[in-house]
Amino acid sequence: MDFVVTTLLNALTLISILMLVGLGLAISFGLMNVTNLAHGEFVTVGAFAVYFVQSIGGSFWLGLAAAPIAGAVVGCILEFAIIRHLYSRPVSTVLATWGVSLILQQGLELTFGLGAKPVTPPIEGTLDLFFTVYPAYRLILIAIAMLTLLGVILLISRTSFGLDIRTVIQNREMAEGVGINTRRTYAIAFTFGAAIAGLAGGLVAPLAIVLPQMGVNYLANAFFVVIVGGVGSIGGLVAGSVFVGGLTSVLNYQISPSLAQAIVLLAAIVAVRLRPNGLFNGASR
Amino acid sequence: MIARDRNWLLIFAVCAALAVLYPLFADGYQLTVIRDALIFGLFAASLDFFWGRTGILCFGHAAFFGIGGYIMALITLNDAIPFGSLLGIMGAVAGAAFIAAIIGYFLFFGGIRGSYFTIVTLAMGVICQQAAVSWSSVTGGDSGLIGIPPIEFDLGGTHVDLSQDLPSYIFVAAIVAVVVLALWSISRGRWGTVLTAIQDNEVRAAALGHNAPLRLLVTFVVSAAIAGLAGALYVCMAGLVAPDLSGLLLSTEVIVWVAVGGRGTLLGPVLGAIFIQRAQQTISSFNPSLWPLLLGCVFVIIVFVLPDGILSIYARLKSLLKGRRRAQ
Repeated sequence: MDFVVTTLLNALTLISILMLVGLGLAISFGLMNVTNLAHGEFVTVGAFAVYFVQSIGGSFWLGLAAAPIAGAVVGCILEFAIIRHLYSRPVSTVLATWGVSLILQQGLELTFGLGAKPVTPPIEGTLDLFFTVYPAYRLILIAIAMLTLLGVILLISRTSFGLDIRTVIQNREMAEGVGINTRRTYAIAFTFGAAIAGLAGGLVAPLAIVLPQMGVNYLANAFFVVIVGGVGSIGGLVAGSVFVGGLTSVLNYQISPSLAQAIVLLAAIVAVRLRPNGLFNGASR
Repeated sequence: MIARDRNWLLIFAVCAALAVLYPLFADGYQLTVIRDALIFGLFAASLDFFWGRTGILCFGHAAFFGIGGYIMALITLNDAIPFGSLLGIMGAVAGAAFIAAIIGYFLFFGGIRGSYFTIVTLAMGVICQQAAVSWSSVTGGDSGLIGIPPIEFDLGGTHVDLSQDLPSYIFVAAIVAVVVLALWSISRGRWGTVLTAIQDNEVRAAALGHNAPLRLLVTFVVSAAIAGLAGALYVCMAGLVAPDLSGLLLSTEVIVWVAVGGRGTLLGPVLGAIFIQRAQQTISSFNPSLWPLLLGCVFVIIVFVLPDGILSIYARLKSLLKGRRRAQ
């Protein structure tokens, strides 16, 4: 019993992180058709923000507050300097954002030096959950991720900015026609996605190995979340995260992590072959 | 069209002549440098054959290079297998083609194109590198496999031994020339024309009776097979194979070679590979971590300043001069 609960909670930790990273990607890749290969670097920047704040004596929570801000700043600059000029050139976007990703990685390495950076969790110890004992920090992580997701759902479904975003997604020309500044909406949505990815990086920093190159693993997995789940809905995001995160955590128990990764990739490819529009979306795009 | 073909053949002939004359002036070390660069040039041409003709970017092409390299290493290092070099090359080509066929089948027939394909191949490259590191009982883990013997085989009674610098250079240069010429004649013929049609409008091409997914799949498999061949050649010349050969950085570099040399020209990427590697060696000798940083800048510059590669500078200058003449 406690093995099952532990596996479930491990899966839930991974799924929460994937949902947060995938959210920004679902906005840029799924809705704006921008293939941003620098998305993983938002996660890295978030994790480094926590490390940096801790290394100058700040608390973890201060660092966690800085993480989404750092992600947003990088995302905003990227959108302003590069992505907005390339909306009509998809392959160029791939190349340019990959270049930015390399520059950011090397920039971080030159600034902070080689090697993994230590980040201490705010709470040590475990919590007795009746069925099993589980690290307390991971439970906090899951809670923060769920609250963030809830906040995003409310933002999109209840506020006027959310209405703008939904309008632009459904029909860009029509949205412009009724007076929505689509350029600005895109920029804000992209920055917002970057901030959420930065938050994910901050949350995962105490658990992960904080390296300038850490982003690429999240990048690949987050893209699978979006591709498998299908674009355009929070439901698809959740379905994709559960598929990728759940499968990875269950397999990680049995076999080596890289073999598990390979199997998840193959499963994702097969899933896309069988359900080209995503697990969640039944109708055609 | 015909003038363009003639120009291409002319440039090809000049390059071939330079490659033939080069050993007269170069010493052994310089020969090996150019030989290794030519192998990467072959690798770049293989990517260009797919990317240049279909417009779909493969972001994990080094996976096939690495697969070819590892298969070659495993076969030639196994003393029980006779004719190691020939079987190794065949195995490397077949192995890379096989993996590409499986992945390509699911992707192309599943309707995956464009950015989606790029992402999946990116992940494929990441996983290949991880597999090479973690499957250490076979691949030797992080340190890879060393002591791979040079290529050596009997062909029609003559014994070919590529342990010396000059024969190996000639062998590699000949293979590169033959493959590039073959790829060029394929892509300028009917096959290439249909691929261009598919790239422009797949639905229309399909309506005209072309099996678009199959064409893309075969092109992808051929491209991967040549990448595998390049990988097999490289590990024999270098004498070792390491996880880096299937890694993301090499996948990235090959894209730069193609983009700088000019996508769709086949010859440009080979030249791009040679020149950029020279630059890389010079820059890395100052500071090794400077190179990826510079590579990132090159990506951004290409996209904004030179979307058609270095060779387009010439065309641009020409049209600029023409425009000026007309203005006068």
